[in-house]
Amino acid sequence: MAETMLKVEGINVYYGKIHALKDVSFEVNTGEIVALIGANGAGKSTTLKTVSGMMHPKSGSIHFMGEDITHTESYRLLPKGLAHVPEGRRVFLQMTVQENLEMGAYIQKKISDEDLENVYKHFPRLKERRKQIAGTLSGGEQQMLAMGRAMMSHPRIVMLDEPSMGLAPILVDQIFDIVRELHAAGTTVLLVEQNASKALALADRAYVLETGRITLAGTGAELMSSEQVKKAYLGG
Amino acid sequence: MIHFLQTLISGLSLGSIYALIALGYTMVYGIAKMLNFAHGDIIMVGAYAAIVAVFQMKLPGLVAVLAAVLVCTVLGVTVEFLAYKPLRQSPPLTVLITAIGVSYFLQNIALLIFGSEQMASPVIMKLPALVIGGVQIDGITWGTLAVTCIIMLGLTLFINKTKMGKAMRAVSEDKGAAELMGISVNKTITITFAIGSALAAIASIFYGSAYVYIRPTTGAMPGIKAFTAAVFGGIGSIPGAMLGGILLGVIEQFAKAYISTLWSDAIVFGVLVVVLIVKPTGLLGKKISEKV
Repeated sequence: MAETMLKVEGINVYYGKIHALKDVSFEVNTGEIVALIGANGAGKSTTLKTVSGMMHPKSGSIHFMGEDITHTESYRLLPKGLAHVPEGRRVFLQMTVQENLEMGAYIQKKISDEDLENVYKHFPRLKERRKQIAGTLSGGEQQMLAMGRAMMSHPRIVMLDEPSMGLAPILVDQIFDIVRELHAAGTTVLLVEQNASKALALADRAYVLETGRITLAGTGAELMSSEQVKKAYLGG
Repeated sequence: MIHFLQTLISGLSLGSIYALIALGYTMVYGIAKMLNFAHGDIIMVGAYAAIVAVFQMKLPGLVAVLAAVLVCTVLGVTVEFLAYKPLRQSPPLTVLITAIGVSYFLQNIALLIFGSEQMASPVIMKLPALVIGGVQIDGITWGTLAVTCIIMLGLTLFINKTKMGKAMRAVSEDKGAAELMGISVNKTITITFAIGSALAAIASIFYGSAYVYIRPTTGAMPGIKAFTAAVFGGIGSIPGAMLGGILLGVIEQFAKAYISTLWSDAIVFGVLVVVLIVKPTGLLGKKISEKV
């Protein structure tokens, strides 16, 4: 029986008066790939932001490795092993590729060449462009950089927010391959995706978010064959 | 020709003082996204600290400089903690008005302690005048230029090469993403205020040496000019503040030497207006696209 790494219980999150997350509960066990799927505006990104402390819930609780992190400040979470690759990648556009990776290792005392080489091994394109300003990279390269940056701190769990957004199909496959490799290397993954078929194919378990509520939960395969999911997210 | 060169050098020297102060404005703006209008008054406090250290405590010059740096750094960090930190989530206008309030507060504290009479500031750097090809350069002029160049070089290296400096750039670009990297934005803002205030303290020593007399409102004019320099160079940009400061000093000295002492400030601010019409982001400023 795998232990629970991340446990979210009944969180309610607001943007001003808008009730964005309603009693959302889910958990991620050590070693799993868990997907959160749902339409635009369902609250997927808000969920990740709340877990990583960029937002805080009005009620409910979040535990990571048994510790209550409901109100922990964002910057204290990476040292605990929780990495978040946010929506829109958010790489530092005015810094070089290598500097971005160094920022990923900010919590380390020293930036190890081994870690840098490891990222470059996964993303040879980044090595070619390591002295380039990140703002000059293509969308796919920026996504790679954002993921590589998250790898630099050796997180226990990495939360990926729409890693395939806006990418060409061939790049989408590459990004999903990397997620698979990350997972094979021992990282737990919480994946938010609009590309439901790909996400469900990859995930051990998944949750469906609809207008701020979790409406369905199950294994990737179960959800993939669910009529409701098929209709709403897999194009019939 | 000699007159021209002399004007140029004194302009560079004055400009490098503006640049030191402008760096404080621009770094705080870059990191905390606020205009710290009390920054100029830090200069005044530094100048008084030097006066007290040299004339009343009889400390040697270099120790007095360190004392001024220490006083200003502690003051800058304290002001940030007490006045600005509680307003982190407030609208920019609230913070701006608070900064103006802090400015008046500091001026009035100085008025209470030192009175409204001007006081002579100590000449800390006693350097011989240099004569190069018939151009005579005062000790204070070349000393200021030399020291500020070293400081600016050091700051550039710090920002570009050190982990802390890179983290500052990361915070300045995207606070949320920086926090996700484990960088504490609050700590970074504190360090920025410390560096900005320390630079202002050093500027105050040079300013005092060049302009001699200090009063509670002394910080206002160099403060507003350095702010102009920061905007001129592109607020938020460190090389921009250096360039803006130096250009402003040179323009001011040339205006004084060749046009009119009376009109020099009008000309300086006139140049700013023209630059902002032609290039609203300043000389080296980047176009900022608002994220939602």
